[in-house]
Amino acid sequence: MFTKILIANRGEIALRVLRACRTLGVGAVVAYSEADRDSLAAQLADEAICIGPADAKHSYLSAPAIISAAVVTGCDAIHPGYGFLSEDEGFADVVRAHDLAFIGPSAEVLERFASKEATRRLLGAQGLPTIPGSGMLRDEAHALEEAESIGYPVLIKPSAGGGGKGMRLVRTPRELESAFKVSRSEAKAGFGDDALYLEKYLDDTRHVEIQVAVDRFGNAIHMGDRDCSVQRRHQKIIEEAPSPALSDAARQELAERALRAVAAAGYENLGTLEFLVDSKGDAYFIEINCRVQVEHPITELLTGIDMVALQIRIAAGEPLGITQADVVPRGHAIEFRILAEDPAKDFRPQAGQVGAYLAPGGPGVRMDSHMYPGYDIPPYYDSLLGKLCVWAPDRNQAIARGDAALRELLVDGVVTNIDLHRAILANQVFIDGKVTTNLLDRVGSAPFVAAGNR
Amino acid sequence: MPTREDAPAGEAPAGGGADSRASLQTRRNHEAIARLADDLLPALIAKLASSGLGEIEVREGGWKARLRMPAVAAVPAARAAESHAAHGTARAAAGHSRTEDRDRRLRPEPEVVEEPGRVAAKSPAVGIYSPRRDLVVGMRVRAGDRIGSVNVLGVGQDVVSPVDGVVGSSLAEAGEAVEYGQDLVRIELPERIPATEPGAPAQVAVAGKA
Repeated sequence: MFTKILIANRGEIALRVLRACRTLGVGAVVAYSEADRDSLAAQLADEAICIGPADAKHSYLSAPAIISAAVVTGCDAIHPGYGFLSEDEGFADVVRAHDLAFIGPSAEVLERFASKEATRRLLGAQGLPTIPGSGMLRDEAHALEEAESIGYPVLIKPSAGGGGKGMRLVRTPRELESAFKVSRSEAKAGFGDDALYLEKYLDDTRHVEIQVAVDRFGNAIHMGDRDCSVQRRHQKIIEEAPSPALSDAARQELAERALRAVAAAGYENLGTLEFLVDSKGDAYFIEINCRVQVEHPITELLTGIDMVALQIRIAAGEPLGITQADVVPRGHAIEFRILAEDPAKDFRPQAGQVGAYLAPGGPGVRMDSHMYPGYDIPPYYDSLLGKLCVWAPDRNQAIARGDAALRELLVDGVVTNIDLHRAILANQVFIDGKVTTNLLDRVGSAPFVAAGNR
Repeated sequence: MPTREDAPAGEAPAGGGADSRASLQTRRNHEAIARLADDLLPALIAKLASSGLGEIEVREGGWKARLRMPAVAAVPAARAAESHAAHGTARAAAGHSRTEDRDRRLRPEPEVVEEPGRVAAKSPAVGIYSPRRDLVVGMRVRAGDRIGSVNVLGVGQDVVSPVDGVVGSSLAEAGEAVEYGQDLVRIELPERIPATEPGAPAQVAVAGKA
């Protein structure tokens, strides 16, 4: 095991990693930027060190600053948290070159899974279903032929595009014929490359992910699934486990397939495989996250496994120590991301000082937050103030506990999305477990905001 | 810097009554005060501290700000700052306990003002500090002069004096691990140095530039 770990992150995850270090009996140094001098993690840590200015480019994203901090404080490992440098294979490589351990997959593993497209091919070859698509289209006739075999509706996608740019949705051969030439010239003008391909368009999808852990010795377990369909502009807001979108048989099968594929592809450490599940219940692999996820606590509530401690132990070269038979998910858990955002003002991020703060309690309630009364929220980073998680024996009771906990949670001084959470919990679509990833963006948040204000 | 008169006239509601005009005026006043507090006051406080003057008054638009330093209050303030600075150094040095710090922050006390008349050359990065070989107390330096360096994974980053002044006491040892922004060397502002100290006469000439 390591002797001392540098925590190269901020906010609630820095605190979460610090707690894991303490329970493992490992020393910890919190690396913070000037703007986070008064952060809770920096204050609670036995040791903390300022690595740079508020601008993350020169602090949380600066490999030299982080590694130098680890060296001068006598650390032998670096925990990158999530975001920032957590999936950067170059960083993992430099960390290792300084005789430090990177807590996460090795640089080689990160590199192998760095490209989404290559990862889809890699895991597709290991038997994971990916979204059906075509190769590069030669001409209109070829496009029509491919669309017929994929099945409408299809997306016309420019090969050189990214982030949804230049995509076009077509529902019939007629629409495809009229859109093909325009898409080609737009791609040429926009990306300097007119290569196009087709991908099946999935309407009303759910976001379901499988949590896995693989050690250096090839031992691999999955820890079930999570549903992250409550999203706004691709940002997860509420996550729950297990997913209401899958039957128990389907979730079992998906988790096992995901684990087999990822282990065969040589993955190592904690990982999350994300899938889109369509209205028929078919799952399509989209990407893998090679780090601890924001929403990991709901899996912890279900399985009783300290996932951050597990992640650290795997990075230290220890075997998993548990088998699949030891992983027995129980009950239902929901996570609410408490954000300093104003839903009534287009979710504008809020900075300022937290006045009163009261975390909820009671059976099955967990609050992971770096807030405290008087905490100044720096304007430089994301708006996550904390994660309220609830667990109960079944989903209905979890919803009831979630609502009770949200009512108890008090955050004064800044506008938050607490009321929006309560409104979503009270919404029939959520109660029925039928929320799709496009729901909040399609109907807008306004009805929820309005309901929350009543 | 914007002044009170700069508030856009177009914001006044057309045909607004006396009430809305009054509230607009109140809002403008608040904005002007906020601007004074945020932009001007810190600069003035620094100026007052370094100039050795007893009082400064500045007019800006229709507003006037006056700062006065009471002769007796300056001494306890300086002492408080001394202990504050000492505490900060202990915290900053790698490997020190954070417990006192946490207690201080989670149970906040009123902020202690910076010690007037003294500034420090700070660490530009996290790494190992080495002072310039010829660095001695009493040496005159200009703003931007190199005081030493901090070694970040084998690459040196310069520690520079933030002001024209005279090198004071060292706050970090050679070979010590330092964090970003840590005070490393005190720089005394020429005006604050008593006339009896060696080298003092020359400082009169520098004083005008401060």
